[in-house]
Amino acid sequence: MMHALLSDSRHALRTFRRSPGFTAAAVLSLALGIGGATAIFSVVDGILLRPLPYPDAHHIVKLGRTSPQGPNDSFSAADFLDVKREASTLGPVAGYREDISDVTGSGTPVRVAGVQTTAAFFEVFASPPLLGRLYTTADEGRGALAVLSEGLWRRQYGARDDIIGTRIRINGVPTEIVGVAPAAVRHPHAAEMWMLTPGQVPVSPIPYDGDADRDVQYFTAVARLAPGATLAAANAQLQEIGSRLAREFPDTNGGESFGARPFAASMVADVRTALLVLLAAVLCVLLIACANVAGLMLARGLARRRELAVRASLGASRARLAQQLLTESLLLAMAGGAVGLLVAAWGIDLLLALAPEGLPRLGDVRLDWRVAAAATLATTVVGLLAGLAPAWQSARPRLNEDLKDGGRTGTAVRTRLRSALVVAEVAGALALLVAAGLMATSLARLRGVEPGFRTEQVTAIPLPLPQSRYDGPAQVRFYNAVLERLHANPATARSAVVFPLPFRGNNAMAAVQIEGQPVLSRSEQQSAELNMVSPNYFETMGLPLLRGRAFTPTDVDGGLPVAIVNERMAALFGDRDPIGRRVDLGMWVTVVGVVADARREALDVAPKPALFLPADQFSVPFMSVVVHSDLPAATLSSTVAAVVRELDPDLPVDPGQTMTEVLDASTGQPRFRTFILVAFATLAVVLAAVGIYGLMSYSVSQRTAEMGVRLALGASPRQIGALVLAHGLTLAGLGVAIGLVSAAGAGRVLASLLFETPPVEPRVFLGLAALLLTIAALACYVPARRAMRVDPAQALRGE
Amino acid sequence: MNASAEPLIRLDGIKKVFYTDEVETHALAGIHLEIQKGEYIAIAGPSGCGKSTMLAILGLLDTPTEGTYMLNGQQVSNLSLSERARVRNREIGFIFQSFNLIGDLTVFENVELPLIYRGMKAAERRERANAALERVGMAHRAKHLPSQLSGGQQQRVAVARAVAGQPSILLADEPTGNLDSKNGEAVMDLLRELHRAGATICMVTHDPRYAAHADRSVHFFDGRVVEENVGAGV
Repeated sequence: MMHALLSDSRHALRTFRRSPGFTAAAVLSLALGIGGATAIFSVVDGILLRPLPYPDAHHIVKLGRTSPQGPNDSFSAADFLDVKREASTLGPVAGYREDISDVTGSGTPVRVAGVQTTAAFFEVFASPPLLGRLYTTADEGRGALAVLSEGLWRRQYGARDDIIGTRIRINGVPTEIVGVAPAAVRHPHAAEMWMLTPGQVPVSPIPYDGDADRDVQYFTAVARLAPGATLAAANAQLQEIGSRLAREFPDTNGGESFGARPFAASMVADVRTALLVLLAAVLCVLLIACANVAGLMLARGLARRRELAVRASLGASRARLAQQLLTESLLLAMAGGAVGLLVAAWGIDLLLALAPEGLPRLGDVRLDWRVAAAATLATTVVGLLAGLAPAWQSARPRLNEDLKDGGRTGTAVRTRLRSALVVAEVAGALALLVAAGLMATSLARLRGVEPGFRTEQVTAIPLPLPQSRYDGPAQVRFYNAVLERLHANPATARSAVVFPLPFRGNNAMAAVQIEGQPVLSRSEQQSAELNMVSPNYFETMGLPLLRGRAFTPTDVDGGLPVAIVNERMAALFGDRDPIGRRVDLGMWVTVVGVVADARREALDVAPKPALFLPADQFSVPFMSVVVHSDLPAATLSSTVAAVVRELDPDLPVDPGQTMTEVLDASTGQPRFRTFILVAFATLAVVLAAVGIYGLMSYSVSQRTAEMGVRLALGASPRQIGALVLAHGLTLAGLGVAIGLVSAAGAGRVLASLLFETPPVEPRVFLGLAALLLTIAALACYVPARRAMRVDPAQALRGE
Repeated sequence: MNASAEPLIRLDGIKKVFYTDEVETHALAGIHLEIQKGEYIAIAGPSGCGKSTMLAILGLLDTPTEGTYMLNGQQVSNLSLSERARVRNREIGFIFQSFNLIGDLTVFENVELPLIYRGMKAAERRERANAALERVGMAHRAKHLPSQLSGGQQQRVAVARAVAGQPSILLADEPTGNLDSKNGEAVMDLLRELHRAGATICMVTHDPRYAAHADRSVHFFDGRVVEENVGAGV
């Protein structure tokens, strides 16, 4: 057996060397298919399949709330503490929120991605430290402790061991570095430093009632299941606690409950469908590549019929011939797999470079043994699939004919099989093409949405403040001082501050009660977006004021709390003019103006009822400066940084972005998946075109004598060309018909990823079908030209 | 009937009909034929008379539409594909008009091929293949590819391949058809030599000169045996 395999392999390698064109085409097809599939699999594996790098990671859960307004992951201090105290099914429970971390005291201040956590955070993840120790519940209340990420430790501190135990100034507070977490600990996304909160919960960025507060929900909670507890038991208990709190605190908790879901799933919930669609797309490309190679091998098998017949006449059984052909296809697949791994390595780098910000677990995407094993499996399957059709053909020998004519004439069955493969290729390519077309249409429509505010010539520079150094009044003073200096400079005169900056993923919401309307419980109240802005915001962002007035410098803390509402919020006042009426959002504010609707969350999320509040009256330490200027973002960032340096030399300033860039980043995920789908669809179309070309070329070479006879009987070259073209287009047309039906099914799967694009969009379907038929016609053109040039005398002599 | 009287091959009422669209072509119309062990028989006749079809059935490359085919006392007309392959490998050696050597294999590998299919050990294969090549005078070309040989040399290699497995019968289909007269004679001499050494040979030819080399020649016409000349050979 082993000898037979070696012998077959040796012979196969020899024949490949003698057919470099065939070998190159087959290996390239397989390399692109296997390489693409491997690269996408590495992303799917890293993000969806690979276990999280924590011990017993399946015991880690993310806690959340459910309310009539939908699920929400934010917790209030009191709710969190109740859950932590009462949920016996949970082991360690931790709360955290991302926070700025300005490291000062040693030269230029440095801002790192920080997280403020409660003491049990590392007990939830249970990873051992790389260096020193990770703080625990025993440290609760101590505060001023920090753990560095491995990356930060190496980059900022040169991987020095003696960093442990030293004190550095973080946000102006001397903080002891107690340990370094290994690179595997990467939560939340891109965190570089974890800081122990001084209390039992993270410090709120906005005023609240401390540990007893149930109204301000501002941090996230994770937990580890208690030993022996199940997720179902934890959920049952959390619902029980939630129901009790809803009964006891109807104003804040009415209609709400708690729940837990697997942490790993919670991280990737937003991207799961998109990744599975991409995986399906790349598997489709792989199958098309497989069909292509099977077609090539069938054509080659036909040319080798005499050889196979001789082998059979010498006593080779069907199984033995099939073994030889499968050995050949496996060898081809192995070569394709080897080149495919190189393609995959390059593809993974490209995917990582193109991946939108915020794609979770990108750090786990890599080419390792798991991915290599998947590539090997794909290679084996591809090798078997590609060799199956030729092997099956060899099991149906027509020995006498093959020995006599040496395979000059293909049988109808053999040609039908190749034709079927081409039809399948075209169908798969069209399904992919339509999927890509739908995504591209959706993306174009998404990008065409007007956000409702000015995006050109507006630069946004984040300017968060450390709460430890800036309390509420200090925040107001600082931002006003920055704006005062910017307004004095003609280049930055049109500037304002805002929180949250649209399209950056930050959120601030409140349940609102309009004065004079029936009083509702909290769960029944309308929820509205809150925006804290300085007086010039609407002018800077080009947000039209429709009625009333804009904010003025007189709208300060201690004055009448005022608000400006958008059109959707104004509509909630019914027929009555909202100007002069009050809204309760925990405190009463008086509406002084109405502005046009604008999108805040994303282009595909319609504007919601929104309130704009004066930053002087409602301060938060996370403002961004927006500047309307034709100067480049880098120049404006430098200007703002210089102003900040004058006011607070210890405050780092991150580079700004134009609002166009911010908008671009917000469509990163749809753009990423559209790009990949378009790339794979293009590849599939090229493979299908090669398949059609190959089949038609082969068909013409097999029918040369027939063409000669037709020409001898008076057919014109044009009629001969039309014959070839009609044959190719018939196959392509059949493939297109099947592809359209498949695409309709694929469209339904894509529906959740499409924006204002129906899954069956006739223009996309018909346009791309026509495109594919045109490509098929072009693929038939060269063989048709060759057929038209057949010399009848020569062809008939050959016969 | 005792064992020694049992013919190597016995065909009874062999018919072969080809069906194409609505046309039935009767290639063989009830052939009765016996071939004794050690016999050298020629099947002659004009083009299209059914002699090649006859050879294909004898070589288990094709199956009869009707009739029985006994080879070495075994009914072989209704064997499965894999059983036919096994019988072909052990009992039959083919010599084709167009040599049918595999271009990617060396002379030695071509001769070795049926022995590989038989599952023979490498040492024995080597010994038998070399012996066969020496027998046809081609041992010195063992490492050459077929394309590096003349037509006559290729046919000698094909003969070596046919005899390497020591089959019960050699089936030769117009073995000189693609050769000039000198090389044709050389191949015929080689076949005669093999016959003298005890080989059973069945040769299809349309050339009466070559048919005359056989012990017996059977003439086909329109799928029937129309004449038999016994003792025409050496």
